[in-house]
Amino acid sequence: MHRQVRGASKMGLDIAFILRVLVFPGFTFILLFTMFCDWVERKIEARMQNRMGPTYTGPLGVFQPLADCVKLLTKEDIVPFNVKEFAFKFAPILSFSIFVFSFVFLPIDGANIVFNSNFEGDLIIVLTLVSIANFFLFLSGWSSFNPYSAIGATRVLTQFLGYDIPLFILALAPAFLAKSLSFSVIAADQDVPFAFIIPWAFVLFIITLQAELEKDPFDVPHAETEIVGGYETEYTGRRLAFLKLAKDVQIVLGAAIAVELFLGGPYGPTFYGPSALWYTLWFTLKLLVVVALTEYLTCVFARLRIDQVLAVNWKVLLPFAFLSLAAAVGVGLWFNLLR
Amino acid sequence: MSININEILKALSDAIGERVLQTKSLRPEKACIQVEAGAHRDAVKVLLKQDGNAGISAITGVDLGETIELIYHIRTCNTIISIRVDVPKENAKIESITDLVPGANFHEREASDLFGVTFEGHPNPKRLILPEDWPENVFPLRKDAVVANVQSNSLPISEDNMQVAATEGVVNIVVGPQHPALIEPEKFSLKVDGEIVKEVEPRIGYVHRGIEKAAESRTYLQNIYLVERICGICNACHATCFCQTVEAVMGVNVPSRAEYLRTVILELNRIHSHMLLLGHAGLEIGYETLFHYMWRDREPVLDMMEELTGNRIIASFITIGGVRRDLKEEAISKINAGLANLKKKMSFYRQLFENDSTLKMRTRDVGVLSKQDALKLCVVGPVARGSGVDMDVRRDEPYAAYNEIPFRVITYDEGDAWARLMVRLDEIIESINIIQYALEHLPSGPYRIRVPRIVPAGEAIGRVEAPRGELFYYIKSNGTAFPERVKVRTPTFANIASFVKIAEGGNIADVPASFVSLDPCFSCTDR
Repeated sequence: MHRQVRGASKMGLDIAFILRVLVFPGFTFILLFTMFCDWVERKIEARMQNRMGPTYTGPLGVFQPLADCVKLLTKEDIVPFNVKEFAFKFAPILSFSIFVFSFVFLPIDGANIVFNSNFEGDLIIVLTLVSIANFFLFLSGWSSFNPYSAIGATRVLTQFLGYDIPLFILALAPAFLAKSLSFSVIAADQDVPFAFIIPWAFVLFIITLQAELEKDPFDVPHAETEIVGGYETEYTGRRLAFLKLAKDVQIVLGAAIAVELFLGGPYGPTFYGPSALWYTLWFTLKLLVVVALTEYLTCVFARLRIDQVLAVNWKVLLPFAFLSLAAAVGVGLWFNLLR
Repeated sequence: MSININEILKALSDAIGERVLQTKSLRPEKACIQVEAGAHRDAVKVLLKQDGNAGISAITGVDLGETIELIYHIRTCNTIISIRVDVPKENAKIESITDLVPGANFHEREASDLFGVTFEGHPNPKRLILPEDWPENVFPLRKDAVVANVQSNSLPISEDNMQVAATEGVVNIVVGPQHPALIEPEKFSLKVDGEIVKEVEPRIGYVHRGIEKAAESRTYLQNIYLVERICGICNACHATCFCQTVEAVMGVNVPSRAEYLRTVILELNRIHSHMLLLGHAGLEIGYETLFHYMWRDREPVLDMMEELTGNRIIASFITIGGVRRDLKEEAISKINAGLANLKKKMSFYRQLFENDSTLKMRTRDVGVLSKQDALKLCVVGPVARGSGVDMDVRRDEPYAAYNEIPFRVITYDEGDAWARLMVRLDEIIESINIIQYALEHLPSGPYRIRVPRIVPAGEAIGRVEAPRGELFYYIKSNGTAFPERVKVRTPTFANIASFVKIAEGGNIADVPASFVSLDPCFSCTDR
């Protein structure tokens, strides 16, 4: 029943390996796909709000996120007076690179970027890395010496305290069903995607993901009508580009985690041609579904207040996360009997 | 109404007797009482007692040469009674009435800025409108003010302007003059402890344009277009209010077709202003979809304005003696079709505001203004009606065609941001009904009469229910083609004081939501 995890052979530092890390499905692919997802999000949001969205750059404006990024890279780089320089300069880059690094542990084209990088417990490593990267986002605001940034930064931390625990607990439900703490095994174990077996956990996971990704109704850390840019306020030029990219990569990563845990990862029916292509296709399609789902939620909700966000996290999400884990354990026992 | 006035006057003469110097009526249902200096506090006290909803509308200063005349316009028993006091120009001093009626706070500070009258006993006699570096002894609205005397000297940056005042964990957050939550240039210093607002200090006047002064050097006809530019959104209200005040001075009656057409444009103004605000409220609470939907549906209203007036925003439709354009038959059917469509949309939005959970979480019990506070601070319009104060100039003192058209005055008792938004939502539906009724019963006949350019000497008060509340005009004519004094009290100026009340003690995240629910318009405030 278990699918064979591909790429079990030993691999040296050859060209194929470098291409895999730098081009596909590694850095370049992730970066371009992030920008594509950004465009999809903007397009969905615009259409839902009766607007056009990006139209000018490239066909249907698909290159707009790239253009935005390139524009920011060319802008003046300002380090304001009195900031904590080291943290201010490195926090955005660190947070971006940690988010990208987390992709190493996710099977994208049927295997991980680096073959055999999967191990029992990489689920926990990825979730921890996400927390650390979030901490760097906080640090970027905290080092800015600006009241808006400071409030935005404290909001990141406050909110993070609220959603992190439910997120961990909800991630355990598919892990229990697959009897593994490794993304590759969990993804490969889903003949029927877990979203159909334990739909309640999937729904809760998506809602918690909204908080993790700072999207409506939980986008308090950069509520522009209250605290200007939040932790981004003092950033300009390429550092701002990195902060924005970090956020975008985080959205894709969050959606990717949801895909691996609940939608069967990259696996799906393969037809003519190399299976890696089909797996990549399935992975992208599933990921876009999750992105569309989160964007839909963003559009239909107003922004909550920080105390309401915490109340939702602790009084609703946490107990329901426990309940759903308990229910998943029940289902798991029954489900394993069937197999 | 006239019985009421006589009663009030009797009560007044009973109370302060011989200190009443002179009584005259401004328009049939209004009165102006001149009292001795010092007696104005007692007079105001008597007037405030007459009616539970009484408050102060404005304080007008007029430069009479040797003296400065202060006119306290008290809103009581559905009309305006004015108390008139003379203060000498040299060493101009008068006792403050802010302790009697807290709503007079900003009015007194304004008069103090522009006329140099010191209000003794005022709790916060700081500058409100003039910049900090304005010279001490130049008062713009006095007739002898010389522009050449105005030399600004730069001031050192005060502690107040520093963004971080780190004392005992209280952070000073400055909202405005440039701030994304406040797209208009005004400053609010919020003292914030964690996420809780401890203290609010408003400061307006960043774009004060001196329109009241400018009006004195323009003819009445030119002034119509000047006052329209006080506020783009409610421009027809300003024009109507100005014109009907001038018409009152002249004693001119406007043809009834013009009255109906004025009603139509006033209500169209109200609809598009309210829709703009409701969309903006969506933006402030992070509900961008609502913003985009609302503003999309606002566009057809602007098209209707164009059908009626030829212009989308600044209508330039109303003139002294009527309106400037007639309404054609085919335009009526177009407007009617648009209104019917809009009505359907509004019932959708009403459902949304009543049922959407996140929207309610952000607006219910946010920025609560109790009825007592609303009366004390003399707020007007939807802000007052959202706190259960039943007042509407359209009904209390009908102008245009409002005495012939049936309509409901919407009030909500909750007093929170949600109630203030709901008042506006319901008023849009009510406005649609008013326009439909007015178009159906549109009288035939001329739409304007010609009036002379020179206005006879006299003075009058005009009131209009603008989208944001009672709009107040006082015009004094000296018998030439140029007005002697034009006083404008815009609704936001009356409402802005309530922001301090509703923001303090609240969450910083509620500041935009409660602020936007007041529908502040600083273009109006900084005339």
